[in-house]
Amino acid sequence: MMILIAEFFVVILKVLWAFVTAGCKWVVRPKEKSVAGQVCVITGAGSGLGRLFAKEFARRRAILVLWDINSQSNEETAEMVRQIYHELDTPITKDGPVGGVEEVPPFQPQVYTYVCDVGKREQVYATADKVRRDVGNVDILINNAGVVSGHHLLECPDELIERTMVVNCHAHFWTTKAFLPKMLELNHGHIVTVASSLGLFSTAGVEDYCASKFGAIGFHESLSHEIKASEKEGINMTLVCPYLVATGMFKGCRIRKEIEPFLPPLKPEFCVKQSMRAILTDQPMICTPRIVYMVNFMKR
Amino acid sequence: MIVIVDLLLMLIDLTYSILSAIVQTVLRPRLKCIDGELCLITGSGGALGRLFALEFAKEGAHLVLWDCNEEANEQTAKLARELGVKVHAYTVDLSKRMSIYETADRVRAEVGDVSILVNNAGVVAGRRLLDCPDELLERTLLVNCHALFWMTKAFLPQMKTTNHGHIVTVASALGLFSTACVEDYCASKFGAVGFHESLTHELLAEENDGIKTTLVCPYIVDTGMFAGCEIRKELRGLIPPLDPLYTVQQSMKAILAEQQMICIPRLMYIPFITRALLPWEANVATYRFMGGDKCMLPFIKNVELKNVNGHVKS
Repeated sequence: MMILIAEFFVVILKVLWAFVTAGCKWVVRPKEKSVAGQVCVITGAGSGLGRLFAKEFARRRAILVLWDINSQSNEETAEMVRQIYHELDTPITKDGPVGGVEEVPPFQPQVYTYVCDVGKREQVYATADKVRRDVGNVDILINNAGVVSGHHLLECPDELIERTMVVNCHAHFWTTKAFLPKMLELNHGHIVTVASSLGLFSTAGVEDYCASKFGAIGFHESLSHEIKASEKEGINMTLVCPYLVATGMFKGCRIRKEIEPFLPPLKPEFCVKQSMRAILTDQPMICTPRIVYMVNFMKR
Repeated sequence: MIVIVDLLLMLIDLTYSILSAIVQTVLRPRLKCIDGELCLITGSGGALGRLFALEFAKEGAHLVLWDCNEEANEQTAKLARELGVKVHAYTVDLSKRMSIYETADRVRAEVGDVSILVNNAGVVAGRRLLDCPDELLERTLLVNCHALFWMTKAFLPQMKTTNHGHIVTVASALGLFSTACVEDYCASKFGAVGFHESLTHELLAEENDGIKTTLVCPYIVDTGMFAGCEIRKELRGLIPPLDPLYTVQQSMKAILAEQQMICIPRLMYIPFITRALLPWEANVATYRFMGGDKCMLPFIKNVELKNVNGHVKS
């Protein structure tokens, strides 16, 4: 009984300490980790947020592995990434490294592209095998691919509903099963789930999207608990929950016009920059913009 | 100007709903009469499903029972008929969309229009993610989450025509906050909660005020589904696995009072709120203290042993 009470006090202290450290991180930005030379897989890299993530990781000299169902847009992203690599390889001035990068790795980062329908389990596994052969072990996995049917439930073809569910939710199971074992073995890795604020609270007319994003969050959190309990300190998980991003995916969606200036659709670049900050500082979760935390809490 | 007026009205609405929720918690609300209504329950061969069937029968509703286990389903039907209501039992595989639609057509032809839908059926894989066969992971998602879409598409249109109906989603406390080692279950139950809430918002937006929804989120119920799951032993007395009958009776009270949501026991609202309120590390610390992070491990061991014994026997 005494041990219980003692442990209870320790927990209270831990909770308070967590608030303190979270508060400090707001004020003093923690140092971003380097991902130079690390292998980063991004699903849905052909467009929208995926493309922007690819460019951000490229700027930080990560080796990129781009997955998308659309070969053409995937190749376009790859071209942009190669352009960034090329720009980074301009000679260093005699005063030292340029751009805050601490050291120039002695290798040339590369980008690899694969066409993959992440909704199909076998394709995910087959492509993961190819990646292991062609590139090596994966350090960072960004589960970003997402679709929405855009129809009211009763008017929506069943195939579209299923597609939303398998791409936004089931796919995370398959990619994680493909890449996590090696991460656990090496005790090194980072899994990022790009969900949505519509995975924390819901709205009318997007039942398939909400169900799938809630599901993705449930999966992410359960996995995070498991990894935390297994005490593999080298594996990090980050959950990204953006509000409406102006990528065309939810074109036409609007909230009340008078409030819109306060809560406009997010600029994709802003969303990705905020997410990168969270990922590179090993933050467990980020909602953009911060007001989403408030709505999430009020919903309870 | 209109914005300001709307804002004030919203604040008044907000205050009113908080006050009425408090009042309802204290005073016993009026329970609606469902005598003669047609109630469809999925997973009626299982422990909770059977109890739901009997409770609805006691209220006078006629029953349509769906389960994949014909024998258990017939047993439930037999018990319900003894209470004097009409019962039709069907064998359905909820992981197959076409099975749901075909059986729904049969129900409409043979029995009539369903006015109360209780989405109760649920499964869990019971293995850690990396040890779990993909088919089992998919099955959990299909039965616990996808089936909700098909059931709603099958039965909601008629409810909308008559502007009368009630959809009950039996999710789980593990649809509001998660724990380690049950990724498939958490994903599917979170999905069920997300679907239910979005549907509720849509019904409200379309002003179908005759169609009600209720979300039931019980903590672990002592039905054998999660046999072996246990939190820290000193706290087990405080939060034991729920008695199935108690769970169903509390749910019935919420359904008949047309309550939007119920967590059983009320203590479950706490982790639900702290998940949103506390930083991640704080949540992990509290879970560790409660034994929540390791609570599923004995359950998974149980499932493993059952499988091994099963192999040995065959």
